[in-house]
Amino acid sequence: MRHALAVLMIAGFLGTAWGAAGPAAAQGPVVAQFWYSFGGTNREVTEAHIKRFNESQSKYKIEGTFQGDYFEALAKIRAAAATKTAPAAFHVIGEAIPQLAASGLFESLEPYAKGANGANLEDYLPGQTQHTYFDYLGKPAAPLMALPFFRSTPILYYNADMLSAKGVKVPATWAELRDAAAKLTVREGSETKTYGFEVPVDWWFWYALLHEAGGSLLTPDGKKAAFRDKGTEALQFWVDLVNKDKTMKRPPGKDYNAWTVTNTDFINGRAAMIFTSTAFLNYMTENAKFKLGTAFLPGKVKQAVPTGGTFFVIARDAPPAQKEAGWAFIKWMTEPAQTISLSKATGYMPIRASAVNSPEMQAFYKQNPNYKTAIDQLRTAQRFPYTPALIEIQREVIQPNLEAAVLGIKTAAEIMQAAEAKANEILAKQQ
Amino acid sequence: MSLYEWDLVMPARWVGAANYRALVSTEFWEVVTNTVKYSVGVVVLSQTLGLGLAVLLNDRTRLGALLQASIFSSYVVSWVAVSLLWIWLLDPQYGLVAYLLRLVGLRGVNWLGDHRWALWTLVLVTVWKTVGYPMVIYLAGLQAIPGDLYEAAALDGAGGWQRFRHITWPLLTPTTLFLMVTLTITSFQGFDIVKIMTQGGPVTATMIYVYYIYEQAFQYFKLGKASAAVVLFFIGIVALTFAQWLAFRRRVHYTT
Repeated sequence: MRHALAVLMIAGFLGTAWGAAGPAAAQGPVVAQFWYSFGGTNREVTEAHIKRFNESQSKYKIEGTFQGDYFEALAKIRAAAATKTAPAAFHVIGEAIPQLAASGLFESLEPYAKGANGANLEDYLPGQTQHTYFDYLGKPAAPLMALPFFRSTPILYYNADMLSAKGVKVPATWAELRDAAAKLTVREGSETKTYGFEVPVDWWFWYALLHEAGGSLLTPDGKKAAFRDKGTEALQFWVDLVNKDKTMKRPPGKDYNAWTVTNTDFINGRAAMIFTSTAFLNYMTENAKFKLGTAFLPGKVKQAVPTGGTFFVIARDAPPAQKEAGWAFIKWMTEPAQTISLSKATGYMPIRASAVNSPEMQAFYKQNPNYKTAIDQLRTAQRFPYTPALIEIQREVIQPNLEAAVLGIKTAAEIMQAAEAKANEILAKQQ
Repeated sequence: MSLYEWDLVMPARWVGAANYRALVSTEFWEVVTNTVKYSVGVVVLSQTLGLGLAVLLNDRTRLGALLQASIFSSYVVSWVAVSLLWIWLLDPQYGLVAYLLRLVGLRGVNWLGDHRWALWTLVLVTVWKTVGYPMVIYLAGLQAIPGDLYEAAALDGAGGWQRFRHITWPLLTPTTLFLMVTLTITSFQGFDIVKIMTQGGPVTATMIYVYYIYEQAFQYFKLGKASAAVVLFFIGIVALTFAQWLAFRRRVHYTT
């Protein structure tokens, strides 16, 4: 009896397995994976657009999966690439592109852009595209591998109520920022109730300050580090604000944990002015219980900002049908209609000139001037050097070491000197 | 794996002992020191507190049982929940701890953001969460001590402290050794609390071993170096356990 039962069970399993492997599901749309790294509002917006894409045509079906923040997702992408299960489409931060491209992770988009379902690359805004994001260091441009997705610049957010209450003008220079922060800081005894200024002690903002001070990351040929002096000046500015003036709060936590604290402090009125990405504009507008203002980042020698956000890419190892689906999706996402709705729902910049100039967007900007700040600031955008060393310099040399200066463990000069040496080491390995 | 360099995407490259050399010349020693500090702090504090609580609550009353259960409950809650909770409690601006300290006129420190305090803060949170475990184990140990030993001692005129020193403590030594070994091993595996609360920061103040391995592997994509660290970890723990056993086996008393 038990023997018979066992035989029946085995037969049952075999049957289902055989049935499932039977006629392949060739009917229906091509299914492809899209991995993204947004939580909160931006995640909802992304998912809504994936749904809209799937409903707008029946040839392809995109499935979106949330993979944690940009850096966690990078780890997963690499692990997936190692097992040849990378998603057809995903998005990466610009700084990671050179190294991942050198590893052969990306499909070249040029044949797709010029092909049947091609893209009008002329219409993409300067500053947004791969070719205007990177400085190719005198070498020929890398092939097109990435389309801009959600692109941003850092902007100054300020609590307009607090500023007008104290008669403080919106700062346009470092010196004015320092003054404004001092006037806006509120102390009660030994406790600071409100900080005049807060910004994550993070690579992206340091990059802005570096260029505002007139410096640059690497030499024009990209062979050596060039950031020591101006990088020290940039870092020292934060050190002074936090430790001398005591008007800036250093938000705790690594990477995006600190960004979350900065946003929360600003919304709760604990910080009067912050630097953070225009990507949070929608979140701020909805949650701030005060009049929200935005402005360009204050400059020193000049005004300068990095661009940020991510680019769409397609995995080279994905099956061709899925790659086609991925391309259709990312091309659709960068079309004027979509870039308008994506931008309005989040605060990220639209990436098409025709979108920015459209009557819809112009009217939107009139009503919501804060959304225009990042787009206007794009004219001060700085490029990143195209080198596989870029992401290493960011993640290993600069990002983990900025904190130590602000905490008073080492001086800014020491840190930048050590950083320059390490960066040169990494660059030398590339030659 | 530890003899190769691999970033998950490019094929692995043989580098021999280079990963081991790279490890010992960097912040690796700080990581080891942090881990040892964390472990010693957690083991000593949680065992001492656990023993104290066990002795205090070693009765059969319902209140005792209720207190035992509530102390043990934090042990079974997830690390993520506990870490998130304590991040808020410890916030220097709006946390409950800072508020209570201000009420009594004391100024709190930046518990998680000050590199001098961060590691000890993690030790305290860990002890808060895990003290239920040594307490429960000690309770079992206490209840295994024959009651007539205490009666005999009381008849001979021994006071509370003497009974503890000459009966309870020696007969708890097997339990103590067991807890010391297991708590050391568990504390060396600390990860969740660091991942949620400090991510190894400020700078490298709370970089403990397992988190260091995670960071090398999944943030910096140095799988070879991370594997080398894992190998050293294994050797270290085995050696430490053996050393603990050697040092204490003669001091352990069994009742039989």
